[in-house]
Amino acid sequence: MAEVKVKKEINLSEPAEIENRIKELCQQFSHGITDQVIQNDMPHLEPQQRALAINKLLSLGQLDLMRNSSGLLYRLKDSTGVSKMKGSDNQEKLVYQIIEDAGNKGIWSRDIRFKSNLPLTEINKILKNLESKKLIKAVKSVAASKKKVYMLYNLQPDRSVTGGAWYSDQDFESEFVEVLNQQCFKFLQSKAEVARDSKQSPMVQRNSSFATSHEVWKYICELGISKVDLSMDDIETILNTLIYDGKVEMTVIAAKEGTVGSVNGQMKLYRGVNPILQPTGLVKAPCGLCPVFDDCHEGGEISPSNCLYMTEWLDF
Amino acid sequence: MHRATTLQPEREEPGSGSDYVVNETPSHVFGLQAVVFPLCINLTKKMTAQEVRLCGLLLREHFGEVVEKVGIHMLRNGTQNLRTILHETGTSLDLVKKSLCVLVQHGACVFSSGRKGPGSPTEYQITCDRILRILRYPRYIYTAKTLYGDTGELIIEELLQRGHMSMSSTVKTVADRLTQNMEEGRSMDYSEVSSTFSKLVETHFLQRCPPLAGAQTTDSTTAATPATPGTPASTTLPTPESYPECYKVPQVTLIGRGKRPLSSEDGDDQRNAKKAKLDPETHGDEGIYWQVNFERFHLHFRDQAIISAVANKLDQTSSEIVRTMLRMSEVMTSPTATCTKPLSANEIFRSLPASYNIARPILDQYLTLLVDDPMEFVGKAGESGGGMYVVNLHRALANLARATLESVVQERFGSRSARIFRLLLRKHHLEQKQVEDFAMIPAKEAKEMLYTLLSQNLVQLQEIPKTPDYAPSRTFYLYTVNQLPTARMLLQICYKTVSNLIERRLFETKESKRLLEKSQRIEAILASLQASGAEPEQLTEVEEMITAPEKQQLEALRLHINKLDSAENQVDETIFLLESYIGSTATS
Repeated sequence: MAEVKVKKEINLSEPAEIENRIKELCQQFSHGITDQVIQNDMPHLEPQQRALAINKLLSLGQLDLMRNSSGLLYRLKDSTGVSKMKGSDNQEKLVYQIIEDAGNKGIWSRDIRFKSNLPLTEINKILKNLESKKLIKAVKSVAASKKKVYMLYNLQPDRSVTGGAWYSDQDFESEFVEVLNQQCFKFLQSKAEVARDSKQSPMVQRNSSFATSHEVWKYICELGISKVDLSMDDIETILNTLIYDGKVEMTVIAAKEGTVGSVNGQMKLYRGVNPILQPTGLVKAPCGLCPVFDDCHEGGEISPSNCLYMTEWLDF
Repeated sequence: MHRATTLQPEREEPGSGSDYVVNETPSHVFGLQAVVFPLCINLTKKMTAQEVRLCGLLLREHFGEVVEKVGIHMLRNGTQNLRTILHETGTSLDLVKKSLCVLVQHGACVFSSGRKGPGSPTEYQITCDRILRILRYPRYIYTAKTLYGDTGELIIEELLQRGHMSMSSTVKTVADRLTQNMEEGRSMDYSEVSSTFSKLVETHFLQRCPPLAGAQTTDSTTAATPATPGTPASTTLPTPESYPECYKVPQVTLIGRGKRPLSSEDGDDQRNAKKAKLDPETHGDEGIYWQVNFERFHLHFRDQAIISAVANKLDQTSSEIVRTMLRMSEVMTSPTATCTKPLSANEIFRSLPASYNIARPILDQYLTLLVDDPMEFVGKAGESGGGMYVVNLHRALANLARATLESVVQERFGSRSARIFRLLLRKHHLEQKQVEDFAMIPAKEAKEMLYTLLSQNLVQLQEIPKTPDYAPSRTFYLYTVNQLPTARMLLQICYKTVSNLIERRLFETKESKRLLEKSQRIEAILASLQASGAEPEQLTEVEEMITAPEKQQLEALRLHINKLDSAENQVDETIFLLESYIGSTATS
């Protein structure tokens, strides 16, 4: 009897106890607990009391309610976020939550409006507020320069937002790319030249003109032209542009697992090549490059007889 | 017939009277009908405006304005009979006949009768391709010079200028011309020229003109009957090669040496006319006429292009190996084959000139490298005999044409546009975003470049809608490059470019016409004065009639004309590559 009494006492007099117990449970199971877990832990608790405690915790923002395949889950909320959110109203919390869910990809203010159903002016006010508290930050996306996305302050923006190594302040560093492009080509070219001058058998010559992407990467790193750290993938992207420039060829060979620069047992080899044609005959005549070629007719305003480009070319 | 040749006095007589029929009355051509019937209609290829314009300019330059007018009319309207040509061009009968003669003489025009049933009038058809070959004359002549020396050069030059000639008269003319350029007291032996001629025939650079049916059947009465079912109605024009004796040199009795013209004042016309009259001897090759085999020259050009591409891409030794392979298969491979006949490494090794000093294992390495090269100029066909290798002729042409397209884009729109162009050639279909990412070009610039290329038709846009309403938001926009249509378009651009260059050249000459005439007149005076042994003061006096600024102007004109000429030849190289590529896609 006394036992029961004691329990009842605890239950009745100290709802805080229950709350603490629930929080403890949540801490034990960091991925979240179900209703069943609480029930098993405190079998004598009345469902109403349990609900009361949980509701209180939820309203205080200390507990998160989630849904998974097995039913509802309770999880402890980030205490840091909670402490930062002190003094914020529900709307602010809601917006913060939405931004948090977006992760490091960020979310556009219009999408926040759709998700929160709050008016845009209200959202703007909240966003400003949160920004000043350094809870969130605005990042300009490279996909659309006018579009700002919001994410939590401490997050590193995703590559798709910043554009990776090739962007600084959402501007594409085309000069940087061109410099790298030229440097990579220079490296491969000098390698090919050395191979050619080696006077070895043609097969050896060809094979020694190849460089792995790892070698190119090392060369570029040692050159120190890049302020940012470039990955091997970045260098391969650059080498690919050289392929599209028709200056470089690539082959893939099988490599022993664990060899430097091999990925999934493959190694990419690059080498500088010469073009098969000199500039074709057509472009040596002024007409081949003429911007008004289609408007040129004998007897017309623009004609071969009065063509200025042709005159300049003839007198050159 | 004799009448007609007066228009081109220096041209060779085409043959005994009834070779060519330039007459609207069908009764004269009954003899032809039987055999020429198969000359069929599907020769008619649609000509583009640019081709017609270029043909017209070439005809005007080489044969004068009357031939241009008739030629253009025939190019525009296809197969026609004499009466229609006469009526629609508004030219006199005589001139039209002469023009047709000129065109037939040069193989630029074919005629047939009875297309609309037996007894219908003879119809004439002009072949555009043959006229465009005029553009390449310098290259043919130059090639002959590099292969067979001055004699070869002059033989080809004479034949190109006169359309076709008999062997004996070619040899004589060439020997005379060579003698003229030699020191006093020396002369060129006919037999030397004959042997060069025979070599040209052996290597198929020259061929017999297909025997004209008219010459053989005019006398026979049986052929005159309209119903001659024996003739197979083949659908194509009989090629010269379909005659068995195409490359057979006849027995020619030619003894003697080249002669100098008696006096330098005799004009060419007079000399020729005199020679024709004074030349009653027979050489045993009457009625056998020779023409330049353009196809053979083109095969040679193609091989040269492949060899130089290999030399550029790989190295000199590889190109020599490919040259050896091409030379070995020259005779065995048909002109339209996609690749050469397979050659074993052993055979190649044996045929390599000893001077290259390539050891057998090294040759194997080179061949492997050639096969491995992504351009795939050389392919491996089997393992027997130390490996069987072929030269991928059509693949090589396609690669060369692709390089040509890339080069045009590169020079015209810059290397970044060329990067996009190559990217699209390689990946076939790409969205705009993908193009930006792969080419590493900022979105704004990439968009601009793509749109420029699109507006120039170098890049195509393919829409793939997700829904049937083609709403832009639910449609994929894929950019792509179609090599063959782009090559065709570029070919037209080349034609227009050459036309422009010719127009400009004509314009430059016209502008300085007065000056040119003056300088010619003065040169003539100087020559005659020199011949009559005039005083040196007199000569300088005449020379000074051209003032210093005028001299400068003439010099500038000469430079301009040379520049335009060489540009024409350069553009023709592009034309050749593109035409060969387009031709190769048609046969493969």
